Amino acid sequence: MKRILLTMAILMVTVTMVFAAGVPETQKSAAGPTVIRWAYWGSGERVTISQQAIDLYQSRNPGVVINPEVSGGAGDHFVKVDTQLAGGNGPDIIQMGGNIYDYAKVLLPLDAYAGSELNTAVIDPSAIASGTIEGKLLGVSTGVTMPALVFNKSLIERSGAPQPKLSMTYAEFRDYLVLLKSKLPKGVYPMQDIGVMSTNSTPFGYWARFNGTPLYTAATASTGVSAEAAQKYLELFQDYRANGLIPPAEIASGFAESNADSSALIAGKAAIAFLYTNQLGGYQAATTDELRLMEFPGAAATKALWQAPSQFYTVNKDSKNAKETIKFINFLVNDPDAAKILGSNRGASASSSARASGASSPADQRVLDYMQVAGPHSSLETDHVPNDTEFNSTLFLIYQRVAFGQVTPVQGGKQINELLLRMIAK
Amino acid sequence: MQKKAKDRIYSVGINLFIIALGLGMLYPILWLVAASFKQSNTIFSDPGLFPKAFTLENYHKGWAGIGIVGFGTFFRNSFTICLLSAAANAMFCSLTAYAFARLKFIGKRVWFALMMVTLMLPTHVTTIPRYIIFRSFGWVNTFLPIIVPKFFATDAFFIFLLVQFIRGLPKDIDDSALIDGCGRFGIYAKIIMPLTLPAIITTVLFTFLWTWDDFFNQLLYLTSPNNYTVPMGLRLFLDSSGMSSWGPMFAMSVVSLIPAFVLFFSLQKYFVRGIATTGIKG
Amino acid sequence: MTRKRLLQENLTSYAFLTPWLIGFFALTLYPMFYSLYLSFTQFNIRQPPQWVGLRNYIVMFTGSEQFPRDERFFNSLLVTFKFVFTSVPLKLLFALAVAMLMNKKLKLIGMYRALYYIPTLLGGSVAIAVLWRRIFAGDGLLNLILERLFHLTDLPAWISNPKYSLSTLILLAVWQFGSPMIIFLAGLQQIPKEYYEASSVDGAGKVRQFIWITLPSLSPIIFFNLVMQMISAFQSFTQAFIVSNGSGGPLDSTMFYSLYLYIKGFGFSEMGYAAAMAWVLLIIIAAITAIFFKSSGSLISYGSGE
Repeated sequence: MKRILLTMAILMVTVTMVFAAGVPETQKSAAGPTVIRWAYWGSGERVTISQQAIDLYQSRNPGVVINPEVSGGAGDHFVKVDTQLAGGNGPDIIQMGGNIYDYAKVLLPLDAYAGSELNTAVIDPSAIASGTIEGKLLGVSTGVTMPALVFNKSLIERSGAPQPKLSMTYAEFRDYLVLLKSKLPKGVYPMQDIGVMSTNSTPFGYWARFNGTPLYTAATASTGVSAEAAQKYLELFQDYRANGLIPPAEIASGFAESNADSSALIAGKAAIAFLYTNQLGGYQAATTDELRLMEFPGAAATKALWQAPSQFYTVNKDSKNAKETIKFINFLVNDPDAAKILGSNRGASASSSARASGASSPADQRVLDYMQVAGPHSSLETDHVPNDTEFNSTLFLIYQRVAFGQVTPVQGGKQINELLLRMIAK
Repeated sequence: MQKKAKDRIYSVGINLFIIALGLGMLYPILWLVAASFKQSNTIFSDPGLFPKAFTLENYHKGWAGIGIVGFGTFFRNSFTICLLSAAANAMFCSLTAYAFARLKFIGKRVWFALMMVTLMLPTHVTTIPRYIIFRSFGWVNTFLPIIVPKFFATDAFFIFLLVQFIRGLPKDIDDSALIDGCGRFGIYAKIIMPLTLPAIITTVLFTFLWTWDDFFNQLLYLTSPNNYTVPMGLRLFLDSSGMSSWGPMFAMSVVSLIPAFVLFFSLQKYFVRGIATTGIKG
Repeated sequence: MTRKRLLQENLTSYAFLTPWLIGFFALTLYPMFYSLYLSFTQFNIRQPPQWVGLRNYIVMFTGSEQFPRDERFFNSLLVTFKFVFTSVPLKLLFALAVAMLMNKKLKLIGMYRALYYIPTLLGGSVAIAVLWRRIFAGDGLLNLILERLFHLTDLPAWISNPKYSLSTLILLAVWQFGSPMIIFLAGLQQIPKEYYEASSVDGAGKVRQFIWITLPSLSPIIFFNLVMQMISAFQSFTQAFIVSNGSGGPLDSTMFYSLYLYIKGFGFSEMGYAAAMAWVLLIIIAAITAIFFKSSGSLISYGSGE
């Protein structure tokens, strides 16, 4: 019996000691400065520059402490933020991507602060519009990004083929791909299979706009893409595939195309690929070849390109320091010194006051050059398809089925149309 | 004379075979180490085992971590969490295992079945409720949500492991000790624990390694960079939307394997045969 | 046994059990019940859960007019079953074989053991994913060797081909046999030398020793490894996630059950459905485990004790 009591005693002591051991840091600053929690995703360079921006702000605003909560990738970031929100402990600033629509109900509308804490006058109207959902300003754009095709200038040079024109029609584009194929070595394809990628169906969205039949119109809750239209898209890529202009399904699916590490272009397997302009810096850093941007075919005639907000700064509805948080966001977005530090890491700035500080790297400059040309070939962004993660994932599955020959483009087209209707109805 | 020669050939053969197979296991590590000495933008384009452009910069850059906090801090945090967890598991899982393996009590079958069931529910769905619990305790941004559960034997894997080992020991040992006037706890501490040492060492080793790798819980609960651990630091080198610092990441991955090796080696001497026999004779 | 002794026995036992009981009630039971509750709701995490009764289960198994059946669910179940019933036996075979090789007092045995444990050490790191793709890609190491050494042509791109991608993951799992190997080693260490010595004197060869001494003595450990590897194989997530880049591989061929659960719960924000999937898996695993336990009675010898 004594032994048992001894055990219990040891147990109790140990447990108490452990409790005493870990004093949470946040508790220490209870009565002190205002603490703002900024949750974002990123790595390496982004973390360094964000910290520099934080230090600058803190030096100008004593009494405010900003705690960065960084996750390596967007996936981790959202799982963590979701869990924290569900536990009632969400951060003050939440970095958002295109999925801002899904979070509309938990974000603080910023309209009340526009003009005072948040200087919206110097921000491009299109950027403001992209962050406005159901009439409320829910997110401040961190910068602008555009869809683009990226090509490996060095690789094309080595093959002896001419460099591509910046703007082409679909016919010219196909001819160019055929020309590339004749010059490129075996095992290297003119273009990666960008029809639909594992996390991205932007080219499909582009093509829908190019034909004047947008993927989704929120006002009427309908899609302009019919089964026949989807079928034509599948046939377009099937034609490319049959002629060796894009790799066969087996090889294409070895590259997830979500970033430089899973890119066929960087691996030297394709000369042309897809990316968003704010990714150029990252891609260029992953290779010694020179990368350049060109437009999607047919953009000049139809203005089917668009400028998308790269990311958003949003405020948690339950934030305890809304005013201070918004002031910091204003600093990040509009202050020229902050812009110099942050560069276009989160998108090319949409604020005229920030742009005054100029481009911060050669890759940045190329992005700005591209936007000079592509900007006028753009129009207002299409509404996002509801449940877009599921939409992307299932669309990719259907696309692969066609690519691997399990399903015909006719059936594929029907399935895509059904999918769209189902996602809208959900 | 002939038998001796046969034995020698046999043991040399075994040695060679072990080495050959082992080298097959080694290739990935060799590739990893080689990659850590290559420049980031050549890692994927230069796939060979020998770097064309040897560089040490990955180790420098990698150690600096994310600027505001370096890998020195990450390692310190990881060590603290893992050592405490390993010790706690060894202690409390064996206590629980002893009860299940040797003692008689009402409800034993039910409790055992429930314990096994706790192993079967995928952890993703208990993430949110656990977060709610730990938040209500105020333990967010501390090491507590990761360590404290080990003090309450929530890792049923090790309980079951130790149960199986303890059941393999002859019951006479217990009985003779009881006759000698030893209490249950004494039997546990003086007899059972030493005899199941390999299993306890296994518990310590695995708890350490698995806690080290438990990236998601660390990500969820450790919110300020000062509390970040090594896996979190490694993930921070990879950015899903742009710049990835593969070189430093590989370099730090190599470094992060070192503690595991050291632990493995230092625990080797406890994998000693023959402890079981001494118990019976004494 | 007197009543007093009985009471004392029970009290002692429960005293030993106290830490686990506290942990079970405070930290495990509530989350389990919460997730059971969630399985009957639709929960997109950002809004409170909404009760929908059996809908999630219906969508998984039969589908209805309004809610078509989820074909990806059954696919994930199939993929996982294939994975479990192939990788677990293979893994255990290797683990036991190598453990027996390692059970010697050779000079550098510590280093050898470490060697075989390395694959497991690399675990679910991103480095493994990169490596595996290097080896099994269309232009990867394996194909290079097959072409140069064996002059084979027209080889598939294993890791991105729906027919073979699962096999590369099975191979990955088997390659990481370190953990069960260590456990077998610990078990082998506990078998008294005397048994082998005595049987040698009686003229028993290595094979007979293996069948009549090693296997029976090791049986509780074999059982442990079998059950635990099976349970963990059913829940396998990390390797599939990193190798397929979170997508479930070409044409959902590497869409493990836990991966699909994760995608449904955190990706599509259908936490209720994910919870339902979790409970279905729990029932499947529990049923198989129960069968194992029931049928093990006659096969396992727990020494001279029980």
